[in-house]
Amino acid sequence: MPKKNQPLSRREFLKLSAGVIGATATMGMARGLLTSLEAEEGETYLLQTSTHEEIIPTVCLMCPSGCGMLARVVDGNVVKLEGSPMHPINLGALCPKGQAAPELLYNPDRLAGPLRRVGERGSGEWEPISWSQAIEQVAEKLNGLRDAGHPERAALLYGETRGQMRKFFERFMAAVGSPNTISHDSLNIEAAKLGTLFTQGVYELPNYDLENASYVLSFGANLLEAGRVPERMVAGYSYMRRGRAERGKIVHIDPRQGVTGAKADEWIPIKPGTDAALILAIANVIIKTGQFDSDFVRNYSFGFEDFDDNGRNAVGFKSYVLANFDPRQAENITGVPATTISRIAGEFAGNPPAVAIMPGKGGLLSGNLNGLATAMAINCLNALVGSLEAPGGVLTQRYMPCPDWPDLPSDSIAEAGREAERVDGAGSFFPLGKHAYQAVADRIIEEKTYPVEVLMLYDANPVYEAPGGERFIQAFDKIPFIVSFSTFEDETAQYADLILPEPTFLERWQDDHIEGLGYPGVGLRQPVIEPLLDTMNTGDFLIEVAHAMHAPVSEAFPWEDYKSLLQDRLVDVGTDWETLQELGLWLTPGYRFSRRGNPRWIDEVIGRDRKLSPRDGYFDFYSRELSCLVADLDGDAREAMGAQVSGDAFFLPHYEPVNYEGDEAEFPYMLNVVTLMSLGPYSVAANLPTLQEISGMVVGERWGSWVELNHDLGHELGFEDKDQVWVESPFGKLKTKLRLVEGMRPDVINIPHNQGHKAIGRWAKDRGVNGLEIMNPASEPFTGLASFTNTRVKIYKA
Amino acid sequence: MTNWSMVVDLDKCVACQGCSIACRFENNTPVVSPEEAALGRSILWNDVLPMPINPTEDIGEYPHSRRRYLTRPCMHCENPPCVKVCPVQATYRDEEGIVRQNYDRCIGCRFCTVACPYGVRYFNWETPSWSPEMARHLSPERVVGQGSLEGPAVRPKGVVEKCTFCIHRLQKARARAESEEREFRAEEYTPACVQTCTAKARFFGDMDDVTATASILASSPRAFRVLEDVGTHPKVIYLQEG
Repeated sequence: MPKKNQPLSRREFLKLSAGVIGATATMGMARGLLTSLEAEEGETYLLQTSTHEEIIPTVCLMCPSGCGMLARVVDGNVVKLEGSPMHPINLGALCPKGQAAPELLYNPDRLAGPLRRVGERGSGEWEPISWSQAIEQVAEKLNGLRDAGHPERAALLYGETRGQMRKFFERFMAAVGSPNTISHDSLNIEAAKLGTLFTQGVYELPNYDLENASYVLSFGANLLEAGRVPERMVAGYSYMRRGRAERGKIVHIDPRQGVTGAKADEWIPIKPGTDAALILAIANVIIKTGQFDSDFVRNYSFGFEDFDDNGRNAVGFKSYVLANFDPRQAENITGVPATTISRIAGEFAGNPPAVAIMPGKGGLLSGNLNGLATAMAINCLNALVGSLEAPGGVLTQRYMPCPDWPDLPSDSIAEAGREAERVDGAGSFFPLGKHAYQAVADRIIEEKTYPVEVLMLYDANPVYEAPGGERFIQAFDKIPFIVSFSTFEDETAQYADLILPEPTFLERWQDDHIEGLGYPGVGLRQPVIEPLLDTMNTGDFLIEVAHAMHAPVSEAFPWEDYKSLLQDRLVDVGTDWETLQELGLWLTPGYRFSRRGNPRWIDEVIGRDRKLSPRDGYFDFYSRELSCLVADLDGDAREAMGAQVSGDAFFLPHYEPVNYEGDEAEFPYMLNVVTLMSLGPYSVAANLPTLQEISGMVVGERWGSWVELNHDLGHELGFEDKDQVWVESPFGKLKTKLRLVEGMRPDVINIPHNQGHKAIGRWAKDRGVNGLEIMNPASEPFTGLASFTNTRVKIYKA
Repeated sequence: MTNWSMVVDLDKCVACQGCSIACRFENNTPVVSPEEAALGRSILWNDVLPMPINPTEDIGEYPHSRRRYLTRPCMHCENPPCVKVCPVQATYRDEEGIVRQNYDRCIGCRFCTVACPYGVRYFNWETPSWSPEMARHLSPERVVGQGSLEGPAVRPKGVVEKCTFCIHRLQKARARAESEEREFRAEEYTPACVQTCTAKARFFGDMDDVTATASILASSPRAFRVLEDVGTHPKVIYLQEG
């Protein structure tokens, strides 16, 4: 054995003692260290060189999970992040993105302060300005719009944000007088939310009680890699598998196996875009064999049986599904054998509690109207077996009570502006849409509405993240003033006139509601260290802009800063601010199931967010809300907009064949862009070198992109693994590395998301390819959802 | 004497790689350049690997193929081949069953990296470097004693480094117990990868304590050790899927 090294020198010893004295307060280990210094020869001891150590709770923002975090701050430096054991979403765990967040905080490519463009747009020439200049300039522009009587010409695009921030943005824009507060939800979760609204009547993503489920059908919900709240799904999955006496079963239905398919008990590679047909065929078998929840169907649902619609016999869910979705018919559509469909239907209905999961983002829920119909079908399947509001089934998200926002001051300019059509066309051009983020570019280029004169971008990088995002650059030519709040000079911020960097999530005040478990809870994001650079919380900035504007806008924000706004808004959560700050969260744990038909069932579970149809506690197999929303459109008009079914079927969950872009003979494969656990959905994560290093674990790649193709097919076509190939769609082409994999349908190819950046920083830039560049930039005509998964491609050697 | 070991339940593990990155930030392993990474020189003490490593050799044929993933820390073998080949006794197995590395003694001959059947010994081909900003997140802790400079302190170029089961956490937990004048309990010591595990798939504890969760799980009928047949007696025990 080696001899013990030279003991500490006197100098080191003193340094250590000083450190220990400082650390005593938090660590309480002075005695221990000193004792161990006198330890026997051959023992090891710890040398702690810090003087001050703190543990500060906050909430992660590397993906939409919103995990609780404990930051270990040593001498003012964030040296480690751990999951908060109190937080119900992650229960003390933290994924690689959260663990790597110190690289976001200390990223050398962060912007050091507010910048004003001096060169041409996109030239990258900037001059530093002060925050007061920035506030003055933005306030002046917005005042100018209001003075000219066109406050609606301001628009704000925002990305992932929860808690008070969404309502805050809406309030700010409403106070200015613009209806244009546009979320990027239309790129990902909007189809799932609309599908739930049109059936269950709540405008929410469904939550799933995986912990208690016996049988889970995952329809393209890549829950273990990139669900809506991946951390929550992983925790539920882990408990369902080995945390309890009986191991639950998971069936993953997705053209790509991925991690979820590999971990599932069964993987069913379905033809992309045909999930609705499979779901309805499962419903067909369940109805035929009488295994549905007859109490729910008879007493708490609408439109299961045929019904009388003002003298007309309307077709209900039952007869529609029985007539059109026999498993043998579905086999031809989906490529899943009829025997498998029947078996799964039997397993699903025979192993309660069973739950069907829809993807929280992207995947099969984009495409065309089929995405919405699929989301509706999944909800109906859960309702059919009585899994709605039941243990092991679907939970409905509840929120912490918040006081009402103070009324906006009376303001005729703003009131007129708010009545204007939205620039994205949601609610007008797209009759069912709430947001149509990707449509903004084309609608500005084609001058579909009024011109946009001030554009603000919060956590929004449409040039990168919207399909065919280059169009945004063209649209920017028509916008005289663009402000980006990006922490980095990203692809979109490059074309801005002002970049007003926001601090990273570890340096700012924000709240985040706890999503995924149903019960109400709030997480508090707080600065774990003083902001490193000359940045400003966008909340603070907009409050100051409002104050700098003319009355009455200046009166709409009676708060000093965003933190005091939060203190005001979170006053009713059930605890005081100090406790909230100390714990980083507050919740009312335990999901309280509502009994069918009682007042809470009607107020909170079924029909809460219906605007036009009755809030009567009936689940809609036949969507009344949808029929009210498109009441102006008769069958012909709907067909003209691209609906492929006529009559009552339009209001029922149905299957619409996907209209692919690209001729099948020329472009034989469907392109799928997948989000990975490593890089996640947020652009900035690509500039974290650690995440780049682990990015391609699923195929053994690091630092770059690849395209996945079925192994046997690849060899048949004469490809070798790791060949350089071109992937070409009708919209463009990309050159990248080919990886041949077994777990993949032969008619689909995958490109991982969040590579191929043209900006952001040294680690993200010019690395790999961005599959979204060659995807269909169109929007679905009814909902305004991005319909990019209907892109066909071909692949050939480079 | 304690006998530290780890159990990983592969039925729970979802290959998220949280362990890989928790380890990096706990132990200050450097990011290597993309070119170095392509040569297999990444220093991730606990990497996650698709099995088999070459994806074209997937087990089974479409659509019945099934990819597997393996999270792989140092196995802290009871019979470690790395120790036998080290010409300068830089690596050794301590009395608590942790295979350790003395960076001061290491001469960088890399015999151990070849001898290790698990590929969990990492050579510093370059001087680890961080930009001044990035260097601020480095953990300031050091362990001194037998394995001088062992623990998170940044290693120099030309030495081999490896998983230590976060030995500085053990030292810290012991020191705390001592300062509070009480017995140290095995549960107080948890490596970073176990703490962060998203699926709660990892268990750590004293294998000699029959009541410890890890040792109960290690006797599960699902338990197996990787490359058991080469006689290394690994002390990281996996539980099969399904």
